[in-house]
Amino acid sequence: MKGHWLSAVAASALLVCGLAACGTGTPNSTAGGLQIWEGYTGAEGKAFAHLLAEWNAKHPAEKVTSLYVDNDDSLPKLLTAVKGGSQPDIAYVYGSWAPNVAQIPEVVNLTKVVQRPGVDWSDFWVGERDVATVNGKVIGIPALVDNLAVVYNKTLFAAAGLQPPGPNWTWDQFIADAKVLTVPAKKQFGTAYVTPGSEDTVWHWEALLWEAGGEILNASNTKAAFDSPAGLQSLDTLRTMAVTDKSMYLDPTDSEYANLFNSGKIGMLVTGPWDLSGFPAVKYGVQIMPSYPGTNGGHQTISGPDNWVIFNNGSKRVAAAESFLLWLTATPQATYFSLHTGDLPIRQSVENSPGFEQKMDQALPGVDTFITNLGNVKQARPQLPTYPKVSTILGQMIVSVLLGKTQPQAALASAAQQVNQALASGSSS
Amino acid sequence: MAVRAVLERRAQPGRRRQPGRPARPKAREQAAGWAFVTPAVVLIMLFGVVPIVWSAVMSFQRNNLFSPNTPFVGLANYRQMLHDPVIAQAIGHTIVYTALFVPGTMLVGIFLAVAMNRKIRFISVYRTAAYATMAISTISEALVFIWLFDPSYGIVNYLFHLVGIPQQQFLSSTSEALYVIVIMTIWGWTGFAVVVYLAALQGIPQALTEAAAIDGAGRWATFRRITLPLLSPASLFLVVWLTINALQLFDEVYLSTQGGPLNSTTVLVYYLYQQAFGGANFNFGYASAIAYFLFVIIIVFTAIQFRVGRRLVHYRS
Repeated sequence: MKGHWLSAVAASALLVCGLAACGTGTPNSTAGGLQIWEGYTGAEGKAFAHLLAEWNAKHPAEKVTSLYVDNDDSLPKLLTAVKGGSQPDIAYVYGSWAPNVAQIPEVVNLTKVVQRPGVDWSDFWVGERDVATVNGKVIGIPALVDNLAVVYNKTLFAAAGLQPPGPNWTWDQFIADAKVLTVPAKKQFGTAYVTPGSEDTVWHWEALLWEAGGEILNASNTKAAFDSPAGLQSLDTLRTMAVTDKSMYLDPTDSEYANLFNSGKIGMLVTGPWDLSGFPAVKYGVQIMPSYPGTNGGHQTISGPDNWVIFNNGSKRVAAAESFLLWLTATPQATYFSLHTGDLPIRQSVENSPGFEQKMDQALPGVDTFITNLGNVKQARPQLPTYPKVSTILGQMIVSVLLGKTQPQAALASAAQQVNQALASGSSS
Repeated sequence: MAVRAVLERRAQPGRRRQPGRPARPKAREQAAGWAFVTPAVVLIMLFGVVPIVWSAVMSFQRNNLFSPNTPFVGLANYRQMLHDPVIAQAIGHTIVYTALFVPGTMLVGIFLAVAMNRKIRFISVYRTAAYATMAISTISEALVFIWLFDPSYGIVNYLFHLVGIPQQQFLSSTSEALYVIVIMTIWGWTGFAVVVYLAALQGIPQALTEAAAIDGAGRWATFRRITLPLLSPASLFLVVWLTINALQLFDEVYLSTQGGPLNSTTVLVYYLYQQAFGGANFNFGYASAIAYFLFVIIIVFTAIQFRVGRRLVHYRS
């Protein structure tokens, strides 16, 4: 009797083990192919599948299979996979997560890999390299680069009798144009701002702060530096439009602004190239961000690059993953991907190849300005594991000013105090 | 006293089971029984008990899931709650939300259920329509409400304008956003409450309401004295179930306001998620501590509800 009982338990345990995929992890061989997690859909999905097929035809022993994972959810999924020892060989990871991802022991150090002959690491934009590097260690290879510029509705500008913005324009001009473009009767706004208080709220402002000549943190990343005249000037700009002129549509959902722009309800948007394909219904132009005359900031922008990260599943698989990524991000493949998706070129050599910008602009009007604007990426957000906390505090600060709840100077002072606290407790842990 | 007569007839005891314990099953049967339940037990252990225990352990650690270094910090995560101003706000919002959502959903539910508990034309169409709110995904629900309550372009402000009420900021207002979410979720849960009440209403024997009518009770008195007490088991179920769900509000907040503006819609579960995954905080230790705090609140609430319910609920024998 007892034997029966035990075998029944053993059989069910086996069954459960099978379901939960218990086991010893992947053996150190490339048998079964490498697995890559990516979140491409639409045109990006097609272009990526094409490149993948090309690689797999040439490298039957190192086939790569892809698994779609929504980029927003990839980190929780990755963390769970790593804990269970079933991490993919390669994953697409947001750049803002890099300092945290660098703490995962299974993440492969690529510092020597990117120095191999033929890779030409310096061909990647400086903003990309900054975000792929954490404490001097390269943990990823750039997968995507973008930046912020001003997309404006040409029809609304003409109807209001305004000149379209030129490359030397200023924030005062932006504020004045936004005011003219605001027509309450038509429910038309001069501009819009995303106000969920998330990093999307924050990085839009960070570009203004840099243009006004300010910094987010001090050089050693130990104290807040944004409670400065530049910080005040940049917040005042936003407050004038949101509170005084009411020329700014505040979008807490982080998505409706694009629909409204495409419906001709918003005159100007500070946004990135990813939104352009969502504006088929309006005639739009793109201009670099305005500047603050009298400051040393000039015209700047901010970039949010993302990375391909390799996870250790044994030396053979790591080696195969490295050669695949170096191939994927080499100039010919990067050119193909940009031309078929409208994504900005991840390498300078792609941008400089003859006829590239014209071809891009034909596919997606206005994208050439974003490409040129890559040269205006002069700094990166602080690469700190505590940056998410800093970002949360800055998000609250910006939203409270935009909603008219707090005066800019008071908001800056209180946020600076909180950031200093977060940095102090973050470094001690 | 027709009602009493009917009730007494129904209350007559049926056949009683013989007293005494049932015979113990033979060892062989016991083994077979274990063999049948083992797969389920192992699965529940694996996907239920293990995560529950693990998060309990994490609540005493500083753990970001990245780093293998997870020092034991004792009660530090729980103590942090005492000094966290946002969690105080989150608790307040959760209580206000629950206090409005639970009775709100039940009132709308009972009203619609009574209205639909009769034989009229197209009744099944109405009933399906009411339940549809339950079948619609939360995402579409949230998107529809975001547009309905859009300050500049929404139809609600348009209707307000027609009757001369000034334009409201709704989801962009720190004082109004939470109430929009209350309305949104009441709408979403109405179908559930309607189905539960409809089923309960149909279980009320007509003899009772007819008897009440013979006794001279009006419609309101019949509802108040006969229907409502007989619905009390369904009401208790709804109170408990809706409260548990209200305390765990997340989807609608995540989709419409992300806790904002300025934390005005941050509720406990959303804050917990924020601490764990949102905005890349990765404070898993603190998030686990909040989860356990919420767990205790839910247990206490449910215990109180059952205790109070025992006095107010009338079960028919």
